[in-house]
Amino acid sequence: MDENIILDFQHVTKSFPGVVALDDVSFQVRRGEIHGLCGENGAGKSTLMKILSGVYPYGDYEGKVIYDGRELVLKASSIKQASEEGIAIVYQELTLVPGMTVGENIFLGREPTEMGSITWDRIYSETQKILDEYKLDIQPQDIVRNLGVGKMQMTEIAKALSENARVLILDEPTSALSEAEVTRLMEILGTLKQHGVTCIYITHKLEELFRITDRVTVLRDGKVVTTQDTKDLNSEKLIQHMVGREMKERFPQGNRKPGEVIFEVDDLWAKDPDKGREVLKGVTFNLREGEILGIAGLMGSGRTELVMTIFGEYGKVTRGTVKLNGRELDISSSHQAMEAGISLVPEDRKRHGLVLIQSILKNISLPNLDRFASFLRVDQHAELVESLKIAKELAVKAPNMFVPVESLSGGNQQKVVISKWLMSGPKVLIMDDPTRGIDVGAKYEIYKLMNELTEHGISIIMISSDLQEVLGMSDRVMVMCQGRSRGTLEITEATQERIMMLATGMACEQ
Amino acid sequence: MNISSLGKRFRENIQTYIIIILLIVIWGVFAVVTEGNYLSSQNISNLFRQMAVTSFLAAGMVLVMVIGGIDLSVGKLAGFVSVVVAVFQRDIWVKIIPDQPILAAGLSVIVGLLTGLAFGSFQAYIIAYLRVPSFITTLGGQFILNGGILLVTQGKTIAANQPGFSAIGQAYLPTNTGWIIAAGVVALLFVLMFRDRRTKVKYGFTLKPIYQDILKVAFFAVLVLLYVYVVNKFKGIQVPVLILAMTVIVVSYISTNTRFGRYAYALGGNREAARLSGINIKKQTFLVFVLMGLLCGLGGVVLASYVGYGTISAGGGYELDAIASCVLGGTSTLGGSGTIFGAVVGALIMASLNTGLQMMNVSPALQYVLRGLVLVLAVIIDVYFKKSN
Repeated sequence: MDENIILDFQHVTKSFPGVVALDDVSFQVRRGEIHGLCGENGAGKSTLMKILSGVYPYGDYEGKVIYDGRELVLKASSIKQASEEGIAIVYQELTLVPGMTVGENIFLGREPTEMGSITWDRIYSETQKILDEYKLDIQPQDIVRNLGVGKMQMTEIAKALSENARVLILDEPTSALSEAEVTRLMEILGTLKQHGVTCIYITHKLEELFRITDRVTVLRDGKVVTTQDTKDLNSEKLIQHMVGREMKERFPQGNRKPGEVIFEVDDLWAKDPDKGREVLKGVTFNLREGEILGIAGLMGSGRTELVMTIFGEYGKVTRGTVKLNGRELDISSSHQAMEAGISLVPEDRKRHGLVLIQSILKNISLPNLDRFASFLRVDQHAELVESLKIAKELAVKAPNMFVPVESLSGGNQQKVVISKWLMSGPKVLIMDDPTRGIDVGAKYEIYKLMNELTEHGISIIMISSDLQEVLGMSDRVMVMCQGRSRGTLEITEATQERIMMLATGMACEQ
Repeated sequence: MNISSLGKRFRENIQTYIIIILLIVIWGVFAVVTEGNYLSSQNISNLFRQMAVTSFLAAGMVLVMVIGGIDLSVGKLAGFVSVVVAVFQRDIWVKIIPDQPILAAGLSVIVGLLTGLAFGSFQAYIIAYLRVPSFITTLGGQFILNGGILLVTQGKTIAANQPGFSAIGQAYLPTNTGWIIAAGVVALLFVLMFRDRRTKVKYGFTLKPIYQDILKVAFFAVLVLLYVYVVNKFKGIQVPVLILAMTVIVVSYISTNTRFGRYAYALGGNREAARLSGINIKKQTFLVFVLMGLLCGLGGVVLASYVGYGTISAGGGYELDAIASCVLGGTSTLGGSGTIFGAVVGALIMASLNTGLQMMNVSPALQYVLRGLVLVLAVIIDVYFKKSN
């Protein structure tokens, strides 16, 4: 056993019904290095981390993980075990208790006590020690809620370090950070390295990989493509590793003939309604009748924020115009958007699309009740007839219209969401990641449906994290990066490499 | 896809069946223990009247809980309405419109409803538009109303037993009228059934065999006739029960057959999905609490008339009975589901326990303990059945 290897993945395979998330993954992480892990969304990065943290316990996957010379055996239902072993993960979604102080958070669940009473002095003095050691600019008594995102993340890191983490995993740590905070994080990681802490740094921001990592492992479709020294790579090579695969017959042939431009967004700026931060910083694009416009961009590029703003349910527009059929729209609620002829199939169907405990019928009719209802009465027969008609058109598979949607498969749930938004007869249908988390067969059906809709003159804006999907389905592709539109590519000139160049910001800084 | 499947329907409504079975068990046990006295027409008659006030509150509470809220002020609001109405009855109408008891009673009803509506709207505004959690708003409301009751009564009991007004909570319908109403209801049930079948045909649905529909309607018809028969043997249908029945039908209709009702359930089931479906969340929340206030007004008027006076303790603890009735009746404390019908049966169970235990001369302390146990037990049974499904 090589003394220099702290983590050794040996033929790790993890499959879910219908998907192989990790396929014979083998690579090694050296002691004390910063090891980059990159790949497209869905490449298997998160699954790998869930194995390390014990979310998928030992026995839930095939293959071995050797940690510090012996096999890592994490039991089910023991969240603490990974951290006791010295493996700590700083998640994308922060896991601190906002109302508690930094010290309380760091010692949460393992508060030192004396005769059953918590020794606060010890908590705060030890917190101070850790913060000093790594030169973190936080006070132990600060309430987490009042800290910026960057400092919250540092608190998370401090928490991991206080548990004597030897391997620190950072999952997309910079997605919410400002440039200055990123620099600060990089410095901290440098310090950690001097202290001998090993880091696994997950990101799809290439620039950061080159800035900080010693070696990089690229995952694609659950497989390891390569593990190389960072200095031997450049961004072209790395992108090729991330996307380089051949197109399969995944997409049905459409017969689209896009017409005139019907929908225009011009230099749209918008602010996050809660934080007041600018999330859209100039987005321009247009959409033709019967066209599918793909919107590509990495997580945090502002794609979802853009469409939610157009739909009237997110940002506060500070500049720019949205026009439909040449008429300027002023939309401040989803109700108005629907009346104007814009529908949106939300990204997270369970959180935003469906009332899970209610029936298919009630879900489909919910945004459309005005069609069947007078003040005193909902015409439940008409409701059923219309909903049934659309559910049949979309081939929703269910025993009847009265079963709760929570009992349906992901693909069928998605069809219910689409039905619900189609009934209002939209001119523009926005679909935010319409095939996320559904199996290949259901995806194909959704693609076919999208083709049919466009043949009926509906224009579709499709956001997708899957580049193949974007290339396979779109007539044009608009690429976003950091809240800006970076350009629209005709499908004939769009390649995965060009899109990734725009999306990772490699091309747009010049 | 076919339109219906009975087995599925049964499983969806399992909670309703459980509480109906629970009700029958409770009645059976009391009937045996009291050697049949429990099922006497007088007792059944009292039972329904006793549940009336709580049921008005429970009917509104269902919708409040469906949208994920709670209202702790309902008992005191009904109490406040009852003392306000009592003051109008004793001090005000006699001066303005002496010798007009019927008109005075009518005006009292309006004053009561408006008082409930006003305070309900006040709280509704704070909850919906100022976004203060309903638990806190209505807890504060309870304190305020307590003060209001003391202020209005000056700590004294106010008589509200004037003829005319007393009829609302105490009168009985003549037995003939009772039978006419019963016949009307039964006829209406059949008319609605046939109309529903006609509409189904118009929209091209396959109909269930007619005997199924007839059996269902006949079952409810028998219940109605049985009730009228039993209470007519005593003194007839009580006016408050009639008011309750009409209210329950209206609120139940609103909850299932109007946009307002449907939006409430969607909002409680998934707030974000409802918002993105174009529902005005604030307005919806506001209206639900306004309706709650209106029902408190109605409950308060019936309360004042039924007990015959307004006191400082009026309505105390009714909010807990109302919440318990909803929970017994299958309303989820997390929002999104619950029926008015269930809550009324829940209220009937609570009233049944009350009267039964009183008849058995069980000490008040033990009565509380037993009522608490039945509430928790019913929920345990329900959780168990839902799991095994």
